[in-house]
Amino acid sequence: MNTVYVGLELRRIFRDYVNVFFVGVLPAFLFLIFGTQSYSSERIGNGNVGMLIMISMAAYGAVTATTGIGGMAAVERMQGWGRQLGLTSMRDVSYVGNKTLVALVVATIPIVLIYLLGALTGASATALAWLLSGALVLVGAAVFGVYGLAVGLAFRTEAAVSAASGLLVIMAFLGNVFMPITGTLLDIGRFTPLYGYNALVRYPLTGGDLEAGGHDPLWMILANVTVWAGIFVLAATHLVRRGRERQ
Amino acid sequence: MIRDRRRKYDAARASTLIDMHTHDATPAIELAGLTKQFRTARGETVHAVDGVDLTVGQGEVVALLGANGAGKTTTLDVVLGLTRPTGGSARVLGLPPHEAVAAGRVSAVLQSGGLLRDLTVRETVELVASLCLDPRPVDEVLERAGLHPISRRMVSKCSGGEQQRLRFALALLPDPDLLVLDEPTAGMDVTARHEFWDAMHTDAAAGRTVVFATHYLEEAESFAARIVLMAGGKVLADGSTSEIRARAAGRSLAARLPGPDVRRVTKALRARPEVVRVDLRGDRVTVVARDSDAVARVLLMEHGACDLEISAASLETAFLSITERVMEDAR
Repeated sequence: MNTVYVGLELRRIFRDYVNVFFVGVLPAFLFLIFGTQSYSSERIGNGNVGMLIMISMAAYGAVTATTGIGGMAAVERMQGWGRQLGLTSMRDVSYVGNKTLVALVVATIPIVLIYLLGALTGASATALAWLLSGALVLVGAAVFGVYGLAVGLAFRTEAAVSAASGLLVIMAFLGNVFMPITGTLLDIGRFTPLYGYNALVRYPLTGGDLEAGGHDPLWMILANVTVWAGIFVLAATHLVRRGRERQ
Repeated sequence: MIRDRRRKYDAARASTLIDMHTHDATPAIELAGLTKQFRTARGETVHAVDGVDLTVGQGEVVALLGANGAGKTTTLDVVLGLTRPTGGSARVLGLPPHEAVAAGRVSAVLQSGGLLRDLTVRETVELVASLCLDPRPVDEVLERAGLHPISRRMVSKCSGGEQQRLRFALALLPDPDLLVLDEPTAGMDVTARHEFWDAMHTDAAAGRTVVFATHYLEEAESFAARIVLMAGGKVLADGSTSEIRARAAGRSLAARLPGPDVRRVTKALRARPEVVRVDLRGDRVTVVARDSDAVARVLLMEHGACDLEISAASLETAFLSITERVMEDAR
């Protein structure tokens, strides 16, 4: 890890107040709308539905943050920053590593904010479920930092950043993040990137049980996360190398 | 303290320089049979570099001169390890390019781009310094690039010349043995250009090897001791500035051709060995030739030309003529 590099990257991000506002405040607002209704006090797993929605909204906020930072990396590449970095002693692996770390720090903002709101509005579960789900939201969001980076590197335009974020909304619906999905949609959804992540972060609460009935075994959840993480990492590493050559 | 170390360092450089002249040092750059092909979006293959052999000794200041698309940037990208050659070999200070770069022995001022707009000048230098193995102190580098007065300014608020000086500062960070400049003054105004080259002169005087690409002839002439002329991915000429000038010698003739078969005349002129280039605009023909007297005679006696003017070809035209001559030979 390079503390100077990570520190300066964070300074850049916090300079952009508008961006920070959207990453932190928008998902929190969504939670306040969807997570504090009459159904929120219904029981699920070792807690209630308010807790379930809190976890998923925090997850959505976290992946929005990490995807955005990945996308920002793409814009840098467009400005030729990748060539400048190619002239330093920094290796590809540590570029991806440092960027991921920056994304994780920023992803902590919506998580802390929404978990705080959840605690204040009656979300409940075992202490272990609180801690474990929070940790999984954070760590799992790293995968989407790599996703944002890969999409951005592939298309190299600022529009790619919005495209990657826009796709997140669709993925979130297919991934059972916003509302319970059933039938064919669920069958398809199980193969999409956000499904595994969302199911994993809910696991400490639900043990794999779905809101609308049914059960996801842990191996299936982990397989989804592993495969998609693998795809994103391979794509990003390949594209970082390509980005160094002249366009 | 810093100044003291700097002086010691300069002394060390000077002695290496002397060593180099007496001993056979490892070349700064060694390219052999270098080729690089790109595939365009439409699937055509472009030969950006097409068989370049080039050796640059340590301490040399060399200009890569050529028009856009001559293959300069691609050649330099290979030297910097930013792109892999399709064929041939490249060694930099005796090492594979990416190793020489990772060791901080080579650095570069790249063509426009390569900066983050939302960092300050100082932050940019700090950031890149953190990625170098053994960087020079940030303050020293800012000082040398003349950036101290604007070190707190956002990159987005810097002029083109200031941004270029910042790239220069970044290139100084690893304290490289070889400094590569890819069209370093593109987009600068005259004052900025002079300031930039002043800074470079100081640096080159310290014995650093400098290789720069440019399409400004005067820039190559006034700064480099050796010019490598490139076109179509090949090296067309390579020699000291005066040698190149001699090779480029020629005169330019302009005349009016009153007759009806102007096209036949230009064709006949092109067939002559001493003729380098023929341009026709209306009934006025311009000929660049090595033996201007012979061409003048032919124009007046055989083709009934009038209003003949003979002038020394500008170096610019002369370079064009070398380029075209060699390209035609290749065809």
